[in-house]
Amino acid sequence: MNRVRSFFGKPYRWAAMYGVILTLAFAFVLLDAFVIPKAQVRVESPSMTVQPVTSEHGDSAGYNAPDTTINHAEKEEDKKPDTGESLPAAPVVTDTSYKDDNITISIETARKNGTTFYVADILLSDVSYLKTALAKNVYGRNIKQTTSAMAEEHQAIFAINGDYYGFRDTGYVLRNGVSYRDNGNDDALVIDGDGSFSVVREGSASMESLVDDGAWQVFSFGPALVLDGEIVVDSGSEVSKSKNSNPRTAIGQAGELHYIIIVSDGRTKESQGLSLLELAEEFAGRGCSIAYNLDGGGSSTMVFNGRIINNPTDGRRAGEREVSDIVCFGYE
Amino acid sequence: MSASDMNSPRPGRAVFGYLLSSAACVAVTNIYALFGHGVRSASMDYMFLYPALMGLVPFLLLTALLPRIRRRRFLRLAFNLYNSGVATLIVGAMLNGILEIAGTASAYQPLFMAAGWTFAFIGFILLLIPDSGDRTDKKAKNP
Repeated sequence: MNRVRSFFGKPYRWAAMYGVILTLAFAFVLLDAFVIPKAQVRVESPSMTVQPVTSEHGDSAGYNAPDTTINHAEKEEDKKPDTGESLPAAPVVTDTSYKDDNITISIETARKNGTTFYVADILLSDVSYLKTALAKNVYGRNIKQTTSAMAEEHQAIFAINGDYYGFRDTGYVLRNGVSYRDNGNDDALVIDGDGSFSVVREGSASMESLVDDGAWQVFSFGPALVLDGEIVVDSGSEVSKSKNSNPRTAIGQAGELHYIIIVSDGRTKESQGLSLLELAEEFAGRGCSIAYNLDGGGSSTMVFNGRIINNPTDGRRAGEREVSDIVCFGYE
Repeated sequence: MSASDMNSPRPGRAVFGYLLSSAACVAVTNIYALFGHGVRSASMDYMFLYPALMGLVPFLLLTALLPRIRRRRFLRLAFNLYNSGVATLIVGAMLNGILEIAGTASAYQPLFMAAGWTFAFIGFILLLIPDSGDRTDKKAKNP
């Protein structure tokens, strides 16, 4: 005991040792939050069944693997959109459009308030062509892949980044009928089995009740931009305490199986970025009854026929950021 | 002989150190803000208050009220724990800020706050315990 007292009695010894411990703890938390992948559930695409990720020893390797994961795809087959997709006759494809018997996509580049943005107008014959995918087909924290890589893997004609669920521990996550996470307290976008959009408040509507009502996809980011055709954000609205203008990704519904997707550039000299109000105005002006903001900033990416349409950047360097998930359209 | 007899920390030097830490916190906050795309965090913005308030106020009070602070029984341990607590709170606030600005969170965040306050509290209590063999204190009690 006296030796310990004597050791720490010398100036700076305690400070040095505690400084090292604190630095290691600091580094560990940052690595845990931003880097260390924690796989929890593997998706067996495209059958949409899931299984916990297991280690060589057969134990669950998932950190805090969710007991609440419910495979609604298996549980409620009757609510699953008809996946009897038929490959179309030869599509007509240009740099900015795609058209076949089932999917029509046209992409317009526009400019407003010093910002370039890209508007995709998508019309489907069946909701089964609207899909979502998880990075590396795994649900978990810090499981990441670029939007373009995921789009290619899933043979998507068109894809955008999703809500980057894997960067947070809260927010509903329901993908292709499978519930992965059911805690949260934000506005969530619900896409029903018939392709209709709605926005609900997490907590006030349980995941179970949403699925019972036919939810097929749920995204948690927000905020809602347009509801019932009315703009529901103002000039002061922002994601958390984010700057007013940013790269953005948002999705809206203009009619039955008719979707509008907008991705804006931002954080560059050429494009400062859109505010949420400006984004909402675009959706309302294009006839959307509902629109919802997805993850933006460096995550914002639009991919069409294997090509990145926008100019993704986090403001420091150009290039795609890896994200947790995508929304895509195609035939896989 | 108590540990405080040898290599006792000097409150005046500690106060100066806390002032420097406060200034460093302000500098880190403002440098980090340059890369935050305008996103700020209250945790980080007010991080400097930990060394400023927890450092300056108690030590100034102790220096004023307990002039024989160098004769505390657990002076070195008390200083070490208290300083470690303040350092942990600063690091915790910085982590909160970084994670908040990035739009995420960690289950470990509360641990920093809990450890910081615990260390600081224990350190402060130890600082109040006089040295039992301190004749100066005895004289003060029985003049």
